[in-house]
Amino acid sequence: MTRLSPAVLGAGCVVWAAAPLVHTGYSYLALLLAILGVAAGALRLALAALPVPGDTYLTAATQYWIRFLKILQLVPWEEGAVVGVLWLEVLHPSRPWHTAVLGAALIAYLLATHLAESGASPRVLRPQARVLGAGAGLLALGAGAAMVPATGPGAGSTLLRLVAAGLLIAAAVLVLPYVTSDTRPHA
Amino acid sequence: VTTPQDPLLHVPARAFELHWRSSRHARRLLTLSLAGVVIALIARRPEFAGVAAPALVLLAAGRTRDRPARIVVRMRLSSAQTFEGEAVALDVRAEGHGARHVRWTLYPGAEINSGDVSAADGAQVRFIVAARRWGRRRIGTMSVVVRDRWRLAEGHLSVILPVLDCYPGPVDQQITVALRRLPNRFGERVARIAGEGIEFFGVRQYLPGDRQRSINWPASTRRGRLQVNTYAGEHSQDVVLLADATSDAGEPGSSAHDLALRGAAAAARAYLEGRDRVGVITYQWDGVSWLTPRLGRRQLYRIIVSMMISRPLATTASWARGARLGRLPRAALPPGALIVVFSPLLDQRFVESLRNMRERGFTMLVVDVLNAEPPVQRRTPWGSSARANTERMARQLWQMEREAVRFSLRELGVPVVPWDGVQSLDLPLARYARRPLAVRR
Repeated sequence: MTRLSPAVLGAGCVVWAAAPLVHTGYSYLALLLAILGVAAGALRLALAALPVPGDTYLTAATQYWIRFLKILQLVPWEEGAVVGVLWLEVLHPSRPWHTAVLGAALIAYLLATHLAESGASPRVLRPQARVLGAGAGLLALGAGAAMVPATGPGAGSTLLRLVAAGLLIAAAVLVLPYVTSDTRPHA
Repeated sequence: VTTPQDPLLHVPARAFELHWRSSRHARRLLTLSLAGVVIALIARRPEFAGVAAPALVLLAAGRTRDRPARIVVRMRLSSAQTFEGEAVALDVRAEGHGARHVRWTLYPGAEINSGDVSAADGAQVRFIVAARRWGRRRIGTMSVVVRDRWRLAEGHLSVILPVLDCYPGPVDQQITVALRRLPNRFGERVARIAGEGIEFFGVRQYLPGDRQRSINWPASTRRGRLQVNTYAGEHSQDVVLLADATSDAGEPGSSAHDLALRGAAAAARAYLEGRDRVGVITYQWDGVSWLTPRLGRRQLYRIIVSMMISRPLATTASWARGARLGRLPRAALPPGALIVVFSPLLDQRFVESLRNMRERGFTMLVVDVLNAEPPVQRRTPWGSSARANTERMARQLWQMEREAVRFSLRELGVPVVPWDGVQSLDLPLARYARRPLAVRR
């Protein structure tokens, strides 16, 4: 279940960002990148528990298999999937709440991937609950800022909204560490 | 926390430096946030700034201010010596990491089996390892990852695990072969002469000084004179195990050398349990090492170690370069000793040495440990190639040669029994265990 959830979330993100598929801006390349990233990431997690033979003398097939496993472990597949999904999403016309849901799903995908690869239980995320809640609030604010009608025609008002959203996020980023700092004495 | 039963209570601690770096999780969050911000700026779409926000907030909140530069690791093996396939517990504990999460991953060395679990979480964990094949084995390396509470930074260190001395697993051997004429030394084997044992030997006429409790009253009544029971003496014998390490053939793990070591270890244990004095001679290309026959359980481990280490640097065994079996000291090869040979009988020099020893009057028993044959090309449905026929003929010749070697030894009075290493050693030896081996000089 732990190893399956990143694959399910990743596939959901790809479908959510791709539908309906547009045919501009190298959309197929972005789709390919996203699918490859999610699939290879899921394969990496599935094969992570396989023991790698450590003997000195190995057959050619075993050596190729070991090389394949190493490549699978080294390449940052999830980063590629994230970039591909965001690329697919930006090809669509503005749809703020759709994008916000995608953002939440992407964060969930990354957290699930981390839990699967480290073998940890979801309880380890409990200390981050408040911060994740704040992040969800900012995500909603970003989507809300995108829905605010422009003050006037032209690129200036869009840029103004962008700067306002960015400043809000920056303020939250600066304040949050002091709000969430651990006050317990260290062992 | 240490408890009285803590296996790591008195284990010396070693400090290791931690190498801190961003976790893969942090790098993924950074990618998401950067991609979101860049897209928001280029496409002028504020909702992508919102997508970047949770990842940015997590990264900002998880900035660690204090990280331990080093932690203390204690580790202990439940036993530094083990037999093949025997499980050994490896306890490890980290100290000085605070409330951070510790993950241990074991990377086993060659011929080491780490069982089902090769990774575990917690400050103190236990792994079960077992060596698959005899020898001095490195258990492997232990990778330790210390993660902060936000799981954005990871401290890595690698610990080289201690060495495990793995002895060849002795196979099952319950019965032992005894000589017909035993040396006059107190032991537990029933000798064919009267003595002070407990097994009935015969009846003779009473002589002054005999114990009254040994008077056989029914026999005395029948013969009209006092008769006493006599009992068989209990003696021990000298057993010398001769391991042939000149040639090795077969699959690693069940090769002739592996079988010779396992068989010799089993024989040493069986004879030592019968209170016999057991010694060992290891015959190699460039010399001979030996251990004089002694009693006791400690001798079993001495024998195994002396066989495992080709040059006895750290053992009590003696070594002679180029020595031949005929020139070994009397203590290594006591006259009248039973010699049990474990050999694939592939080296002609060794076979010749066996013949010489037999001609000098030693009682010998050879266990043939070769369980492999030269490979032959398989027969194909459309016939055999000329090469396959040649290989088949060569193998037949080789088998005939081996049979000739065994025949020549049998003719000299040296029994040769085959052993495949799978079945118990009792089966091939059963024929010779029922009646004592004759000593012919």
